[in-house]
Amino acid sequence: MTEARLIQGNQACAEGALAAGCRFFAGYPITPSSEIAEHLARSLPGAGGTFVQMEDEIASLGAVIGASVGGMKAMTATSGPGFSLMQEHIGYAAMAEVPCVVVDVMRGGPSTGLPTSPSQGDVMQARWGTHGGHPAIVLAPASVAEVFELTVRAFNLAERFHTPVTVVFDEVIGHTRESVVLPDHVDIVDRRRPDGPVEGFLPKAAAADDITPLPAFGDGYRYHLTGLVYDERGFPTTDPTQTGALLERLHRKVDAYSPEIEDAETFMTEDADVIVFAYGIVARAAREAVRLAREEGVRAGLFRPVTLWPFPAKALEAAVGAARTVIAAEMNHGQMIHEVERVAASTAEIVPHLRVDGEPISPAELLAKLRERAAAQTGGRG
Amino acid sequence: MTDVRDYLREWAMPHVLCPGCAHGTILRAFLEAVKRLELDPDKLAMVAGIGCSSRLIGYVDFCTLHATHGRAPAFATGLKLARPDMTVAVVTGDGDGLAIGGNHLIHAARRNVDLTVLLLNNSIYGMTGGQAAPTSPAGSVASTAPAGTAEAPFDACKLLEGAGASFVARVMAVDPIMSTNVMVEALSHRGFSFVEVISDCPEYFGRYNALGSGAEMLAWMARKEAGVAAALANKRYVNHVPTASDTSGLATGVFHREERPVFTGLSTQAAR
Amino acid sequence: MSGGDRTEIRLAGAGGQGVVTAGRILAEAAILSGRTSTHSQVFGPQSRGGASRSDVVIADAEIGFPLALDLDVLVVLSEAAYTRYVPELGDAATLVVDERAVPGTGDGRPQTHRFPIVETAHRIVGSPVATGVVALGVLEALTGLVDAAALEKAVGSRVPAHRREANIQALAAGRDLGQAA
Repeated sequence: MTEARLIQGNQACAEGALAAGCRFFAGYPITPSSEIAEHLARSLPGAGGTFVQMEDEIASLGAVIGASVGGMKAMTATSGPGFSLMQEHIGYAAMAEVPCVVVDVMRGGPSTGLPTSPSQGDVMQARWGTHGGHPAIVLAPASVAEVFELTVRAFNLAERFHTPVTVVFDEVIGHTRESVVLPDHVDIVDRRRPDGPVEGFLPKAAAADDITPLPAFGDGYRYHLTGLVYDERGFPTTDPTQTGALLERLHRKVDAYSPEIEDAETFMTEDADVIVFAYGIVARAAREAVRLAREEGVRAGLFRPVTLWPFPAKALEAAVGAARTVIAAEMNHGQMIHEVERVAASTAEIVPHLRVDGEPISPAELLAKLRERAAAQTGGRG
Repeated sequence: MTDVRDYLREWAMPHVLCPGCAHGTILRAFLEAVKRLELDPDKLAMVAGIGCSSRLIGYVDFCTLHATHGRAPAFATGLKLARPDMTVAVVTGDGDGLAIGGNHLIHAARRNVDLTVLLLNNSIYGMTGGQAAPTSPAGSVASTAPAGTAEAPFDACKLLEGAGASFVARVMAVDPIMSTNVMVEALSHRGFSFVEVISDCPEYFGRYNALGSGAEMLAWMARKEAGVAAALANKRYVNHVPTASDTSGLATGVFHREERPVFTGLSTQAAR
Repeated sequence: MSGGDRTEIRLAGAGGQGVVTAGRILAEAAILSGRTSTHSQVFGPQSRGGASRSDVVIADAEIGFPLALDLDVLVVLSEAAYTRYVPELGDAATLVVDERAVPGTGDGRPQTHRFPIVETAHRIVGSPVATGVVALGVLEALTGLVDAAALEKAVGSRVPAHRREANIQALAAGRDLGQAA
């Protein structure tokens, strides 16, 4: 382990990418994510990598996909308005099965919104933003250290499942500096490459585990990649059987592996009467609030999804257990709360605690909410 | 390699092109250039967007990346920067390259990434059914311009030269030998090379504007009339956009060539 | 939400006073002293001028919520910062005010200290750029928040080499101000 350093969330993201083997970055300037690009513009060339500033966010993810097809681990980073523009190519990467990492440092929206304020308004866009049904893996770090860790994981998941992986965090985590000890070694996953003969190579032939090999362009396997529905040769088809098989396989790659992908953190949920559901920076406030509530005798707990998608439903169900109330705290108008309701509404009351004014949710306001709900429960018992 | 047909994915046939469409002739001209340069098929990537022209790459046995509408220059930029050992050629159309992808095209030219772009200009959106394109001559009929387009068209070569393309040329499908010769030069050029290839679309542009069959369209192309505008002028339409080429015929050939630093990604050294 | 071993410090002033750099130096000095810290700053559309603010949280172990919520120490180096942040400051908090920038203020408030911080920075380096570093020297002497050697080392690694000497002097001058109080 190296020594502790004071680094910004955005820098931790750039360093995580480098540690994971990212050697290509294409991006477009946007607050509050630009420090990721700036850091990589300085550090990638020395690491044998390539940086390019593109003309917009559509082109940025396009170039990232092109570089990944060329065999490089590649990433882009943006914020809400740019994330909207990238949706087209997130869908392309999901369909054509091109590994890549998209980082969205969330700011207030909609539209240009609040460029320098935190928000969690993009978490549903990260799931459903591109057209058509598609699988999605979305990670939500809650600290600078975790930005590093989950950026590495994003690359590993992208390379394991040949799919785009999105990392979402808010402006506060992106811009805040924290003292962190970054590991000097991380485990790295590399995409599956074909090992059979070049002649007769069928890029999308059925694979027992649903993960088809992905050769880099230029390595001797000549094949076709397309955003159209394709057959086992990778060539466009409209055949219903082949179409269904492809779409099912794409979804299975995430659904069937969700136990491996899903991650969640719980804090004092075992005997909790009231659980706060929170992610990202809000989970940091919630953890403080839970700790303080416990000191006051309120049986509070925290459930934090680390993977927003696939949503850790089973873990949430287990954590909620006998709790009577779940406070869903988000810096948006209520997005992940729908997942919480889907999972827990039959056993617990789901209470929103939402904030859309550009200010982060504080420990104090969550503590007040925990007291209020605990008191309501006591009142209800009487 | 003795025959360019060996470059084809015969299993991918029949192709999607209409009878009389010159796109196939253009692909043949390109494959002749590949053959003449003895490019290694393993190291040749073709990147395309959406449209009739873009579908060509499906039929060639190279590394082929069928990207999104208009974004092929961006995909190709990433690929070329990641794989400088490969020759990367983009095939685009007038709608794909000049409308939805216009910004990507001019920025790729400005960067002078080592790409070769073939823009197949048939003056209309063919794949989606004959809508007006940014190259449709003023007054020409399209499904979205039933009374004739009221907009002025782009001159793709002037646009690209202005954007900084270090090689700019125009050829016509009716002259495949010249097309091959120019494509050889474009592929050999170090930096961003742009070749506009005048093609036809008998199915929509020809039919809507009463220009005849594919063969007839190639015939007026052979007379080097000022694009479709001249053909239209002989019919019942008037070109409202006077251009220099109106009097001298549609110019072909290499219009611009320069050596300037090629963008290979930010490096620790300044551009060479 | 200060309390326990957690200390929250805010440096607030005008752009160009080196407030953000000083915050980073303080947070880095805390790490060099074996403690944990966070640093946050206000981002606005302006690159130059305007208000500037830098918050540091220091604790012995892991920091739960990384943003300052209940300040223990507030340093104000401009009148605008005074107007903006002093009214919400708790009574138990320590307030350090630049006596020239904010004349005739804070007199009735407990735990208020007034120093010629801006003037001292001008005297040492001839510009306001080291104001934040002078303030760190004041804080060190006044509160003992971070250890002097760590602070000096952090200044040395954060400022450019050609300004190192001047900044170490600025830090020492601040320390002298604080000790004289």
